[in-house]
Amino acid sequence: MREVISLQELKRIAQVSKLELSEEELQGFFEDINNVVSRFEKLNDLDLQDISPTSHLSWSEPPFSSDEPRAGEGGEEVLKGAPQVANGYFVVPRVVDKEEKENEDRRV
Amino acid sequence: MKIEEFRDFSIGDYHRLFKDKEISPLELVNLFLERIKEGEDKIHAFLFVNEEKAKDEAQKKAENLPDELPPLWGLPVAIKDNICTRGIPTTCGSKMLENFTPPYDATVVERLKKAGAIILGKTNMDEFAMGSSTQTSAFGPTYNPFDRRRVPGGSSGGSAASVCSLEAPFALGSDTGGSVRQPAAFCGVVGLRPTYGRISRYGVVSFASSLDQVGLITRKVEDAITLLEVVSGKDDKDSTCAPYPPFGRSEIPAPEEIRKLKVGVPREYFPSGLEKVIKTKIQEVLEKLKEEEIEIVEVYLPHTSYALESYYIVAAAEASSNLARYDGVVYGLRVEGENLQDMYFKTRTLGFGREVKKRIILGTYALSSGYYDEYYLKGMKVRTLVRQDFEEAFGKCDLLITPTTPSLPFFPEKKGRDSYEMYLNDMFTVPSAMAGLPSLSLNCGYDEGLPVGLQIIGRPFEEGKLLGLALFLEKLLALPSPFPLFKEDNNE
Repeated sequence: MREVISLQELKRIAQVSKLELSEEELQGFFEDINNVVSRFEKLNDLDLQDISPTSHLSWSEPPFSSDEPRAGEGGEEVLKGAPQVANGYFVVPRVVDKEEKENEDRRV
Repeated sequence: MKIEEFRDFSIGDYHRLFKDKEISPLELVNLFLERIKEGEDKIHAFLFVNEEKAKDEAQKKAENLPDELPPLWGLPVAIKDNICTRGIPTTCGSKMLENFTPPYDATVVERLKKAGAIILGKTNMDEFAMGSSTQTSAFGPTYNPFDRRRVPGGSSGGSAASVCSLEAPFALGSDTGGSVRQPAAFCGVVGLRPTYGRISRYGVVSFASSLDQVGLITRKVEDAITLLEVVSGKDDKDSTCAPYPPFGRSEIPAPEEIRKLKVGVPREYFPSGLEKVIKTKIQEVLEKLKEEEIEIVEVYLPHTSYALESYYIVAAAEASSNLARYDGVVYGLRVEGENLQDMYFKTRTLGFGREVKKRIILGTYALSSGYYDEYYLKGMKVRTLVRQDFEEAFGKCDLLITPTTPSLPFFPEKKGRDSYEMYLNDMFTVPSAMAGLPSLSLNCGYDEGLPVGLQIIGRPFEEGKLLGLALFLEKLLALPSPFPLFKEDNNE
């Protein structure tokens, strides 16, 4: 295995991806991901200087929908799948830390 | 009637029985439910069997036989568990969506129902369609009906195994890099991935949006044609769905026209690592086509060996972005945390399995500042080269014939932690997916009881020629449709 991504870098990427990895998992991913990424270097064989990238495929002009109001789907039914709901809203845990909040209050 | 009598049936045969009152839709549904009960502890193709609702729907239909039967009237269908079904769980084979029941139907499901089909159940799959073996499902693997020790392929392994074992007459799957064609090859059935944009993706859980396409898994080519007519065509709810009318069977050339088609064989699809028996079987078919005076030409797809790397960059990058939505807020799993960030971490850490986490990390890396040009941009540029290869090859022929997979169905033990070896199994299905081309896998024979898949690739929106050649080959090869007996494991 060639090390393309360092353990430190891997930790950072996992953090950005909002994933917690145990030390054991981290080690497993370190080997596995480096193994895959080192194969990507094969693409360096190709001269890609003047090649335009393909980000998506489209066979025709993207269609436009008519600008008319329509009833949306769901409403009550959409909320049924939510982990926590109150008064027609999604409920999430506290976003602002207590301390931050107090500081905020003092400033006001 | 007994289920084995349907072994070589296509939709028209069932409809004849309905019209002659030899069987009712309820009796038919009951036969498939019995078959599922007999087979499920052996192969585990289903994550959910829609028993009660399917019976109710079949009963309603039994009471009201129309004079003119809609194309799928009274026929049960299995649906891959990443396609939304109103009121029926849709888990994507993941703990993240274990308790998710969609409040709406995917466009394809809506169209199946309108055509008279009955939802029989939801089939097992690799978690979020990431895999080639149906081993990464959070709810346990599916086993190959021909040999339980081997994998059924993936990610639509449940759909392919259910159709192979006649637990369902046909099924929907999804194909991002081969997830319909590879399991179809491993289970000896027909797997069609139409042109990107032929079928609406509305209500199909996104993995890699520029590659995902709904696919059809059937026992006969004829049924793939009927299903494609029903589910294809413009959809206002999906802007990537091409604004064209549905496929029609009048697009299929007459048999005498099929003989005038030129078939290309790409040299790069016969590498040294290809299993010998697969090479032999495909060559036998090419010989038979020559005897039928179909012209075979050699073509070149020089960037084939770079397609897989490019695919894994692009697919992982798109997946990492698409799967960011699973955060425990709006639907799916929530694991409580001390604050919002903590909840995100706990939910995603417990909700996703290893392969999904790996691809999210890989994709996040490929998209992150400083690496974007090195990976994602390069991946997209190579995708252009892969497309250009096909364009050039199709200047010399109408259709391509290749093996679907480089190996016969493999053993799960053999492909372990190093996922790259498993990724290699997609080497023949990935390039046409990257170019958005219609491709179909057809069983072309058996080696010691295991099926060999042949792949046909066509130009964009030329499913007519593709299916025409598939029908021609199916007739020429005259292989019996599979009907594995659920015997105990073979001796080692």
